[in-house]
Amino acid sequence: MNSPAPSDPPAILAEGLRKSFQDPERGLVEAVKGIDLRCLRGEIYGLLGPNGAGKTTTLRMLATILSPTAGRASIDGVDVAVDPLEVRRRIGFLSTSTGLYPRLTVRETLRYFGKLHGLAGDALEARIEELVAAFDMGGYADGRTEAFSTGQKQKVSIARAVLHEPPVLILDEPTTGLDILASSTMIEFVEERRAAGTCILLSTHIMSEAERLCDRIGVIWGGELLAEGTQAELCEQTGEAYLDGVFMSLVRAAGYGAAEEPTA
Amino acid sequence: MTANGTPKVWQATWLVAQKELVTSFRDRQMAIYAVVLPICMYPVLFWLMIQGALLVQGRREHTDVHVGVAHATGVEVPADLYEALSYAPGASEVEEGVQPLEFLEPHTLGMRHSPEDVWAELRSEDAEHPTDAILYLGADGDEPAVLAHDSTDSRSELAKRRLERRLERYAEERREAAAVEAGVDVRALRPVVTETRNLAPDEEMGAFLLSIILPLLLVVMAVMGAFYPSVDLTAGERERGTAETTTILPIPRLAVHQGKILAVCASALLATSLNLVALALSATHLLKMLGDGVDIEIELPIAAFFQVAPLALLFTFTVSAILTGFAALARSFKEGQALLGPVQMIFILPSMAGVLPGLELTPQLALVPVVNVVLAFRGMLRGDVQPLEYGLTALSLLVYAVLAILFARRILSRESLGLSSETIPITRLFRFLRSDTQSR
Repeated sequence: MNSPAPSDPPAILAEGLRKSFQDPERGLVEAVKGIDLRCLRGEIYGLLGPNGAGKTTTLRMLATILSPTAGRASIDGVDVAVDPLEVRRRIGFLSTSTGLYPRLTVRETLRYFGKLHGLAGDALEARIEELVAAFDMGGYADGRTEAFSTGQKQKVSIARAVLHEPPVLILDEPTTGLDILASSTMIEFVEERRAAGTCILLSTHIMSEAERLCDRIGVIWGGELLAEGTQAELCEQTGEAYLDGVFMSLVRAAGYGAAEEPTA
Repeated sequence: MTANGTPKVWQATWLVAQKELVTSFRDRQMAIYAVVLPICMYPVLFWLMIQGALLVQGRREHTDVHVGVAHATGVEVPADLYEALSYAPGASEVEEGVQPLEFLEPHTLGMRHSPEDVWAELRSEDAEHPTDAILYLGADGDEPAVLAHDSTDSRSELAKRRLERRLERYAEERREAAAVEAGVDVRALRPVVTETRNLAPDEEMGAFLLSIILPLLLVVMAVMGAFYPSVDLTAGERERGTAETTTILPIPRLAVHQGKILAVCASALLATSLNLVALALSATHLLKMLGDGVDIEIELPIAAFFQVAPLALLFTFTVSAILTGFAALARSFKEGQALLGPVQMIFILPSMAGVLPGLELTPQLALVPVVNVVLAFRGMLRGDVQPLEYGLTALSLLVYAVLAILFARRILSRESLGLSSETIPITRLFRFLRSDTQSR
């Protein structure tokens, strides 16, 4: 796979993306305050930020789970506000909140999502068997997912997300809560998908993960994108040698209080 | 399927409903609630009722009661009174009401005594024999004898009933003896001899009984049948952490919401049908056990079934949609159940109109939710529904079903629903309904 050229049309594009919530106790809360980002095919873009920075809200807007309050975004050229259904057909979305249906087996889960994506018959069954073999799930493919370990569940979730071979993958903290083996499986999977030309947008607060995986990184804090670029560009911009230093330097510059402790 | 292979809205709705039904019925609690309970409840309930009734009847038949007879000094007690009223231990035939009745020694009282005094004396803890009722013969022959008893005491009530029957028979025998002695034809004492006969056909009796019980039961069954799945598919989904998974399904939200409501409705219809079948089988078996003495034939007329079915379907859709909408406000299964407790009363309380005598379906009542459906069911089962009322009821049920589905969809399509970590209080419902909507 050739590296994407900056002139290629972005698979993910967000411009001035905003999201506000009406909270019964806190009033109007601005979770995302105008984010711009571009992510190309065959590229992994990492949104790096602490809990509550706005990462998940941004990804949810791109996955059409939330509607943007302002701004625009498109996935694979399809506007999320104009044709959200087509957007959902073109993405694979995975997060800690997208649990598996516990009373379905692995095969039933994949068959359900496959049918909803328009797959049917032998083609669907062949694809299911391909994924079961690829993720080494043969030993438990007919077991209900409620009894699975976290690692097994993660494999099923990944298989579910890529079943329809989407051109765009949106992964919200994909390794959170996983042990080292399951994390490793996930990281290998993400690298394989990049090699296959998939555009991957992932959020994380794990610096090492971002350093290893991401072609470009956006540092998000307080609902704003503080900086973006390759790791080298960010280090150069902040004068720091490592990503955690980059991150702290950026959030301090953005007004992070000296008395406060960082959460990431 | 559409041109690019993705399912159409109705196909997606069906796929979602199928999946929801499968996953719901794989839950043991749900299977018990929707299938096992309806099948087992009525046979067990009826068996317990029969056993209970037999037990009570048996105990009554073998309960000895004691009646004290008191009379004032000088009062002439008919010589044959005790013999006529007393229980004959060796009697070969024991009729109902001629069960053991033992007379205690007669009390001879002074003139100043009253039935209350005698009652207090014979019922006191110091009394020689326990006394359940008293026959008090006053000083004046014209005064009626007093049968004193305690209506809060079951033994006393039993003693009173047995004594009343025997006194009646005693009086009858005395009248007949006096008539014979006077050379009067005994038949002159009863110028009109009556015998009660119920000429309503057995099946009409059955239809009448069904029309009283069934409308209420249909409403209760539909509500109970929709209760558990509506919570499981909404609040249960939030609790299981799969709400967001459902939100990213590559189908229109409309199909997801419709699929859920359809699954709840199908579960409710299944539970209702199983309830009805179990009820019919149990009632038929019960009537057979009771034998020829019961002139009732339980049979649902085919015409009534085809009239009731569409209304029942529309009503079940309404119930399913309303319960699904409210249950979606809860964040957990437990809270969903607590939330729906009062909501189900919206349906159950008005359905009591079905058992009110004299209330008929009018064009005005045909527009009142729930009341219209129970009165229409009642009329159909009796075979006396007018086309105008039936049409208005069907029309209003259709409108209510559509409104209920829109209400449920409005709740289910709030984007904050799946993401909120709290139960939305009903007091905030209107504000919540105005919050941001999910994308299509």
